[in-house]
Amino acid sequence: MLFGRTRKNPITLPKREVTNWVYTTCGYCSTGCSIEVGVNGQGEAVTSRGVGSADVNRGKLCIKGIFEHELFYSKNRGTRPLLRQQTHTPFQETTWDQALDHTSLEIKRIQQTYGRDSFAIVSTGQLMTEEFYTLGKLARGVIGTNNYDGNTTLCMASAVSGYKRSFGSDGPPGCYDDFSHTECLLAFGSNLPEQHPIIYWRLRQALEKRKFPVIVVDPRVTMFAQFADMHLPITPGTDVVLLNSLAHVILQEGLADMRYIAAHTSGHEEFSALVAQYNPVMAAKICGIDEDTIRNVARLYAKANAAMSIWTMGINQSTHGSDGVVAINNLNLITGNIGKPGGTSLSITGQCNAMGTREWSSCSGLPGYRLLENAQDRQEIADFWGVDPEFFPKKRGLFQTDIFPAIETGQIKGLWLVATNPMTSMPNTGRIRKTLEKLEFLVVQDNYSDVETTEYAHVYLPASIWAEKEGVMTNTERRVNVIRNVLKPYADSKPDLWIFNQMARRFAGGQKIKFPETAPKVFDEMRTLSKGRFLDISGMTHDLIETNRGIQWPMTQGAATGTPRLYSDGRFNHPDRKAKLIALPFIDNNERPDTDYPFWMNSGRVIEHFHTRTRTGKLGNLNKFSPTPYMEMNPDAAHALGVAHMSYVRIVSRRGDAVVMVQLTHRVPRDMVFIPFHFHECVNRVSLGLLDPYSRQPAFKQCAVRVESMSQQAAAVLNLAARSF
Amino acid sequence: MYQVRDDEPEYAFIPDVAAPASNQWGKNVTLVNTDDALAGKSMHINGDGSVGSSPHRYRQHGFHFTADNCIGCHACEAACSEKNELPAHISFRSVGYLEGGSYPAYRRMNISMACNHCDDPVCLKGCPTRAYTKFAEYGAVLQDPDICFGCGYCTWVCPYNAPQLDPVKGQVSKCNMCVDRLEVGLKPACAAACLGGALDFGVIETTPENREQAKIHIPGFPDPEITHPNIRFQQIKSLPRDMTRTDSTPIRYQRDAQGVEEYKAKSHGAPLPKQWNLLKLSSRENPLVLFTLVTQTVVGAFILLFLGPMFGLEMLGRDTHPYIHAGLLVALIGAQTLALAVSTLHLGKPHRFYRAFNNLKYSPVSREVAGIAVFYNLLVIYSLASVFPTALNWISPTLTHAVLMVCGWGAVIAGPVAIHAMHKIYRIKARPFWNHWQVLTSFYGTMLSLGSLIVGWVFAAMLTLSGEGYGSLLSVLTLPITLGLIVDGIGLIAHGKYLSAYGAEASAAQWQQLTVFGHTHGLRNKLLVLACLLAPGFGLWGMTGGIGLLAWSLLALGCITAAVIGRALFYVLVVPTTMPGAFFWRNQGFEAHARASGLARMEQVGVLPQAEYHDLQKQRVVTDLKNEYYKLRQRGLSYAIRQGWRLVFTRA
Repeated sequence: MLFGRTRKNPITLPKREVTNWVYTTCGYCSTGCSIEVGVNGQGEAVTSRGVGSADVNRGKLCIKGIFEHELFYSKNRGTRPLLRQQTHTPFQETTWDQALDHTSLEIKRIQQTYGRDSFAIVSTGQLMTEEFYTLGKLARGVIGTNNYDGNTTLCMASAVSGYKRSFGSDGPPGCYDDFSHTECLLAFGSNLPEQHPIIYWRLRQALEKRKFPVIVVDPRVTMFAQFADMHLPITPGTDVVLLNSLAHVILQEGLADMRYIAAHTSGHEEFSALVAQYNPVMAAKICGIDEDTIRNVARLYAKANAAMSIWTMGINQSTHGSDGVVAINNLNLITGNIGKPGGTSLSITGQCNAMGTREWSSCSGLPGYRLLENAQDRQEIADFWGVDPEFFPKKRGLFQTDIFPAIETGQIKGLWLVATNPMTSMPNTGRIRKTLEKLEFLVVQDNYSDVETTEYAHVYLPASIWAEKEGVMTNTERRVNVIRNVLKPYADSKPDLWIFNQMARRFAGGQKIKFPETAPKVFDEMRTLSKGRFLDISGMTHDLIETNRGIQWPMTQGAATGTPRLYSDGRFNHPDRKAKLIALPFIDNNERPDTDYPFWMNSGRVIEHFHTRTRTGKLGNLNKFSPTPYMEMNPDAAHALGVAHMSYVRIVSRRGDAVVMVQLTHRVPRDMVFIPFHFHECVNRVSLGLLDPYSRQPAFKQCAVRVESMSQQAAAVLNLAARSF
Repeated sequence: MYQVRDDEPEYAFIPDVAAPASNQWGKNVTLVNTDDALAGKSMHINGDGSVGSSPHRYRQHGFHFTADNCIGCHACEAACSEKNELPAHISFRSVGYLEGGSYPAYRRMNISMACNHCDDPVCLKGCPTRAYTKFAEYGAVLQDPDICFGCGYCTWVCPYNAPQLDPVKGQVSKCNMCVDRLEVGLKPACAAACLGGALDFGVIETTPENREQAKIHIPGFPDPEITHPNIRFQQIKSLPRDMTRTDSTPIRYQRDAQGVEEYKAKSHGAPLPKQWNLLKLSSRENPLVLFTLVTQTVVGAFILLFLGPMFGLEMLGRDTHPYIHAGLLVALIGAQTLALAVSTLHLGKPHRFYRAFNNLKYSPVSREVAGIAVFYNLLVIYSLASVFPTALNWISPTLTHAVLMVCGWGAVIAGPVAIHAMHKIYRIKARPFWNHWQVLTSFYGTMLSLGSLIVGWVFAAMLTLSGEGYGSLLSVLTLPITLGLIVDGIGLIAHGKYLSAYGAEASAAQWQQLTVFGHTHGLRNKLLVLACLLAPGFGLWGMTGGIGLLAWSLLALGCITAAVIGRALFYVLVVPTTMPGAFFWRNQGFEAHARASGLARMEQVGVLPQAEYHDLQKQRVVTDLKNEYYKLRQRGLSYAIRQGWRLVFTRA
């Protein structure tokens, strides 16, 4: 009232009458932020806030977490199971009993007609670990198909594969606390501020307290690249060359930790012989980073008392994704930077529970990092579940990215999709459409009835979302965190755990095996199975996890707390307890730009969206920041083609075309365009997705396109037609 | 009281650090002393009578933004929208960006901006309803949506686009500094949510930990001299010499000298062929095009009708042609009534129209409305006395004469004064395109030319019908008509020069005028020049009869067309000194596309579809009026009287 009214008016501000705060963990990315959901007296979820005492996020949330409670009420949630005989007829609402009976009969029919493996299951990184474990039990122990995998093949398979090749086991060895100890951070293909904003904030906090060099390797000038002390704008798909060359300099200049190499690694000779070929002069010509910079970075990294590397999809989604991960591990092994504070090889994972599915889903083997190839592992699980060990295959079946080609050529006739949307997420949409058409039976289990893949589904099962369920998730730093139940399931949707259990009952095998009804009881089975293993969680309970705001595995029974770092003792999980230094010859097999298709097509994430937008595309306060697809394009290239800012163009590749709105910016070089991957009927209509030979992960980020002009009106109509949310 | 959590992290609390005595403009940081009458009072937030315990409660608070660090993650915007329960199409805080350089030496600078709770809150001064208050507590500038009637004037005067006019609710709302959080020592939700180490908050002129700068300007931020905003910046990292915006505002920022302080906004000046874009002349402000033109014409016409006979134009007097005179008066009242109705319905909450007078002390809107109300009432009384003289003559013919003289002279004075007040509305520093004396010449020019043309044309038409001559009348009227056109023209020439010289948003508006509306603008100028030549020609020639009427009609049509185009351009072209937007959010180009393409029909796109906006506004007005009516009926006559009393006599 310095100015204005003479009499003070009372102030009215929006206020949520929260009567109960419920502890959960965020269900988007793998950072693993603790969230409290505020519930009012009417039992409605009205607000979200970061948990102040949680070590991961320390009270902070990113834009997606801030609005996470709105998901409960978001549009087009599935309300009732849907059923139809043919995909060209409309869906009819049905009961759970009918939907599940029909599904189980179809699975049995297909398996009896075409063989056990002709029915495939593709799951996700979005469920609770207990649900993954139960689905694994159902798939491996009851249905008995070997074509069972998760969509983590699209995001983390290369990291898993690289960890296994180098260290003998999956499991990120480091943690966020390493930021507080490191003296040099090298980030590969990771746009931390946009993909994992809370991890970026942790890094920022560490940098506020103590300055250390941050080096970002990325073909695009992301915010992270801008803020880095050094930005290495690398030629797409050539990380292995850069990494080999860094190792070359370190070994040649005697900067390597020879004591560590001798004590804890194998394969040194072969490795040294290979990297000897990658001198910086030769490497510079391939990877586009000049030789001085390569030497400078190598020396900086090797001389630091503790140095760490992080990476995300820039490495994983590549034809040398697994090799890229191994190369990063090589770099850290020769500099002795594994398992020590500030020295690590830390993959920044994608989905909230990608780790959970890796650990417990049995996708790539059997629960608890057990292998189908290992007779003892098969026996242990068979005994525990009460099934015949011979029921298990002796070798892992097809990866997700090989399941679809097997449908294409008729070996697989039926498919169950759980919380994944290949119509938008798989490369080469045109091919995926043709593939899905060939299925005799497709069941889609998802939170949303409008998930695009339902176009080809015969049965749709409405699953409950996030904290309508309960269970645990494991984050990037192996922290197991718990989601408590906030609301009862929406409409007639059901928790995935319930769906799996109900499905199990409909099979003869499922009636013999015990399927616990509740998440804590399932967790008890996992605890038992984890005893004495690398990922021991026997010391944890849901309550203890909540009290600690998440616990990092391993935590054996009776231990006071979890374990921040793996391999601190220098003992790895290969039979010789040594890590492997692996020679990585570089083969240039990418579809590179040429005269017909002169642009690299690069793809990536934007902060306001998650994956295929089935959730974030429905919340206005997220979606409004990028409601429609766009393409970053260099103004010089656009000028030559007569393309204007904010106009639509058609991008064309050898696979197909897509309509996008152009955003002119010097973030990308003249021969590259960048398109966010979230949008339906967009980037994956043109992407190639060559598969990594080890991880079978597609190279989403490297292919060649050209840019064509088109009628603005026609483009607007086409674009609108593809935007149902 | 806002609930502080047991595990509230330290960064969420406002640090208790010593503040300097005065800010960078020499104003006291301490707003009132603790023994002041304003001190020690509750803010009554949501009916809570407690008093916050912050030791700095009576010091001016403000934001600190480290532009070097902002990652554009939207956490601040999201935390704000979540706390304030904002729908997707509204936000109190927005992040936009500037970018420059060439790959890979490219830099983007994100800017997060909300209300700056200025030392000189132009929103508060401009608001006719006095919905704004600058509090002694924290120096917060708060706006009360329950008082606001949705005129949107605060959104014009604010240089930072802080007040948000919600067309759905028909009212403005804005950043409230999260005073509920401040009362318990917490930073506002946005600052507590920042993930980049960019946005912070505290007593103004205190630099946060680990920060070394507290400057008042960065590239892309409007001139802080306009309002003395309470935001300080750190921006140390070097930026490219040329920074561009990604939104459709035709502005770029260039550094002429060394040092980041020297960035100047410029028109982006991209070559573009001249276009017509006649449809784009239509805007939300169409009612104001009508209102200003009609009011100016009516004032001009009345002055002529009243003064004409006194200065030798007996033909205009009521004694010479009583029916034409009376008819004209009735028509003027009709036109003015319509214009007032249209401009009132243009408000978000028309039933609160009476609040327009609440801020005569500061608001040019209040003064304009008051001026026009006086003119209008005098015009009505004068017309009644003039058309029905017998109504007063039975008391005394002198009384009739006195009423006519008092009201006539009163209206002759009140009209131009009201138009002057009307012009003051547009003299806004945050809208350099308007902030020039050309507004006044345009308004008075219209008053003279259109006012005289209308009177002249009506007489010419009527006299032609009755077979009488009118040549001498129009020959004389040529003078004010031409004078009005010349005054308008001189203003436009000077305005053009000013726009080029001023640069920034002014020259950006000029760029649009000469390209996007190039042909339309050219047509207006040609019409104006032609009318300037033809009017004296017709006058000297003494054209009369049917042919003469046709010629004058064409001239009038030309002048009216020029005036309508000119006034529509006046509203459409203005480029406010807002913050840079992003590619989709806060990009008018995308908003227009979303509406045209149908994307806006999806609520989650965050753009209101234009068509529905009008429907919504109509629906809302009808509902509001119904509710008022039911309230009156329920509570009875005494409530109505009390309410009426309050409206008229009580200052809010």
